[in-house]
Amino acid sequence: MPTANITFPIHGPVDLLTRLDSPDPETKLKALREIKNQIIGNRTKKLSFLKLGAAPAVASILSSYATQADSQLAGADVSISNIIVQSAAVLGSFACGFDAGVRAVLDAGAFPHLIRLLSNFDDKVVDASARTLRMIYQSRLAPKYEFVQEKNMEFLFSLINSECENVTGLGASIITHSCETSTEQRALCDAGILKKLISLLEGSLSQKNATLESLAVVFNKNPEVISKFVGLENERAVESSSSQRDSSLESPGTVIKNNPESVFKFVRPESGSALSSIIELTKDRYARTRLLACTCLVVIRNASPNYLQDIGINAKLVYLLLELLDDPSQVGDEASFVFSSLVAGKKDLQQLAFENNAINKFCNQLQKGQLQPKRLQGVLLALADLCSKLESCRLTFMSPKVLNQVIDALTHDCADVRTSACICLRSITRSIKNLCAGYFMNEMLVIPLIRLLDDPSVSVQVAALGVISNIVVDFTTRKSTFIQCGGVKQLVQLTKSMHSTVRCNALWALKNMMFLADDRCKEAIFLELTGSLLASLICDPEPRVQEQALALVRNLVDGCIKSIEYVFAEDGTLLDAVGRQLHNVSDFVGIQGMYFLGNVASGNEFHKEAVLQQLLAQADNGAQSFVIKFLQSSDSRLRTAAVWVIVNLTFPSCPGAFGRLVQLKNAGIISQIRNMVNDSCLDVKLRVRTVITQSMTFGDGLT
Amino acid sequence: MKDKENSSGHTSPPVCTLLTVGQAFSGTQNVSSHQKDEAWRVNVRIQGCDLDHGYLCGTMEALNVPMADTPVNDGLVNIQNVLAVMLTLLSHDVCQVVTFWEGEIVDGKNYTFFTGKWEALSEDDIRHWTKFPSFQPFLEQVKVDGGKSLDLINYPYIFMRWKEQYFVNVGTDCGLTIAGFYYVCFSCTDGSINGFYYDPNSSPFQKLELKSTNEGRSGFSFSFYELQ
Repeated sequence: MPTANITFPIHGPVDLLTRLDSPDPETKLKALREIKNQIIGNRTKKLSFLKLGAAPAVASILSSYATQADSQLAGADVSISNIIVQSAAVLGSFACGFDAGVRAVLDAGAFPHLIRLLSNFDDKVVDASARTLRMIYQSRLAPKYEFVQEKNMEFLFSLINSECENVTGLGASIITHSCETSTEQRALCDAGILKKLISLLEGSLSQKNATLESLAVVFNKNPEVISKFVGLENERAVESSSSQRDSSLESPGTVIKNNPESVFKFVRPESGSALSSIIELTKDRYARTRLLACTCLVVIRNASPNYLQDIGINAKLVYLLLELLDDPSQVGDEASFVFSSLVAGKKDLQQLAFENNAINKFCNQLQKGQLQPKRLQGVLLALADLCSKLESCRLTFMSPKVLNQVIDALTHDCADVRTSACICLRSITRSIKNLCAGYFMNEMLVIPLIRLLDDPSVSVQVAALGVISNIVVDFTTRKSTFIQCGGVKQLVQLTKSMHSTVRCNALWALKNMMFLADDRCKEAIFLELTGSLLASLICDPEPRVQEQALALVRNLVDGCIKSIEYVFAEDGTLLDAVGRQLHNVSDFVGIQGMYFLGNVASGNEFHKEAVLQQLLAQADNGAQSFVIKFLQSSDSRLRTAAVWVIVNLTFPSCPGAFGRLVQLKNAGIISQIRNMVNDSCLDVKLRVRTVITQSMTFGDGLT
Repeated sequence: MKDKENSSGHTSPPVCTLLTVGQAFSGTQNVSSHQKDEAWRVNVRIQGCDLDHGYLCGTMEALNVPMADTPVNDGLVNIQNVLAVMLTLLSHDVCQVVTFWEGEIVDGKNYTFFTGKWEALSEDDIRHWTKFPSFQPFLEQVKVDGGKSLDLINYPYIFMRWKEQYFVNVGTDCGLTIAGFYYVCFSCTDGSINGFYYDPNSSPFQKLELKSTNEGRSGFSFSFYELQ
């Protein structure tokens, strides 16, 4: 059917901005409306208006009309209110889901005026201002609201208590944005915010969602607040559930009558309790509300597992989050992250998720291809958490097609996706079974990983080093693949990074590569690293770097006996560096240092003598030998490592063993060993007995 | 001296440095049957260890295998099978077979002395465990609860089951079987390992004897890796 085509003139941005300057309020109002309509949901338009300075222009109108409104009596001038409402709406549109817009609105100085307008006599003005402030508070750029100060807390409560939906929503958004520390969580809790928020769970959709978001923030990692929350009751829910129950309690009534404990149990876990209000919202008809309710429950479970121990609720959370994953909107993107938070580090929940087909569900998402970066990141992280502990999950994941999808993500434009792909691969490559089968050491995986070592993002570099550390363990003979692809050169470069985490992880990878490496592989690594660089890394200011460097040289001198000669290259730089460093290190660094010395001491006479000299050398200040300190350590692993050095130095078939035993005795080391025959650690005790047995072969070596 | 690691009080085997990643063992497996009397050389390397979960894994290299692990019928070696295996291995151009195995450490927490799978009944378990003299003190309790309540923390022997999972250097068509598993007893004192292979379809009580090797060194050397 033909219809009349009515068109309205559309003005360009420059024209509209000129109209904003018009002295005629009607022209101004029309221009504001048109700007608002043009920019809604259109980032390009928002940007072109912002470039022309629209935000300061509109903020200035808001400010001047707000001042005029202050001097007016209630309801005096509708046109002033209309202009305020429209200018607030324009500013809200700029800020909605667009950080550049939020920045422009804040820079234009509109924020304090919007706050002031919350106490305006006109409800429409209050509503529009609150709506715009909510948009601003959805951005991380919004100013933190210091509600711990008494007056600010009062103001926050006035917002939460408001009759206006946008104002209460604003209050919740302020909490979501500004509550960061446990002190702030406690302050809100002590002020009675929980009770207020619970009542809002019964409100409109937007109130419910804003409240669930803020509750998750107030609960986060705070068992104390959660415990108070769980102790509360949702009064409105209790009333309605009690009235429902009254009519259906004929039979249980006899049990409950005059039995307060039974009544308590009956009411609490089922309905009316604060917790059950949230559980109830996981059944809401709106996906976003279901997701936010799940988020709250996951936060509660992570901080206070006792409250949600029931296998049923955990299975329900797994099921719901997997279901929400199918939502094509932002809800589906966020569901993966909430799922990750639910299962991360929890073997029981990973098992439960595995039994609920979670691996296949996430793998199917991956295979859909062309996922938005946020969704792809979430799916990869969820798979990483699922496969972090359970071999069954890793084996289910291991299909060539899925693996290829993850490998493709290593070259994604978005750094967060590249990092997540590495984290996912790190979990998958934790399978010793698959490493032994040589599944990962191939060019298809190795080459993109080595390229990531040059990534401009340090997070990507560190994540790539995590995967490389695993795959280079490779128990087959394919370590050479990594060398041929230029991986060792890159790793050695990263040991010189200014970031200690990068240095540490690069050394970690080299250490794992050195594990049971053949002579050619060791030589290739050592030539690239050099003795002097290794010596400087052993003396790195960061203890974690020292530890990895010492573990690396420990592996270097293991295996074929001639590999011990590396220690004596460059005038024995390495051995001297270790000896010096061990005078002043933490226990965990000492363990690697002592195993290094022990491995060298398992060599020939020359090697053993060199180690002995290091043990007998005093610290500069004349303090006792580090080996005695280590033998007396409270860490049994360090005591064990230290005793192994003595076992090797006194190994009976060696010609110089007796001489070394005498020197060790003179230094008080043997007498310390003798004191350890009843060590609480069986391993230490057995090695101590070995030393004693060995010394017996020389006659009465210990007395 | 009070040890800060072992103060948790739960029953678990001692941490033994001779049973850690990288450690190597060598020895023999006796494969004697009614018709033959022989042993073949075996090298074992520990590749992974997770004591908290009672998990251990590694590789087992068997040298000169064709006459050794030959499928048998009713306990007798089938000569045709022997020849078939030899020919298959020759076609793979290998003289040794490497398998990957996974181990369950009997710690009363993750695993008990009762296998509960791999066609092993509790009687089979008892029959094999009692072959180790160091098991004797536990026999009565194991009959009651599989050893769940035993305190093994300061016992200088570690009991395990090793189950081969796949062939590393040959295909499954190599004609060998890895259907059975080993009952293993490890001595923390000297790192020696004794074991018995159990497979209802193979010769019973094939004995595995391994010693810790120091690979030509005058002492003990320890390598190390950590997965991220």
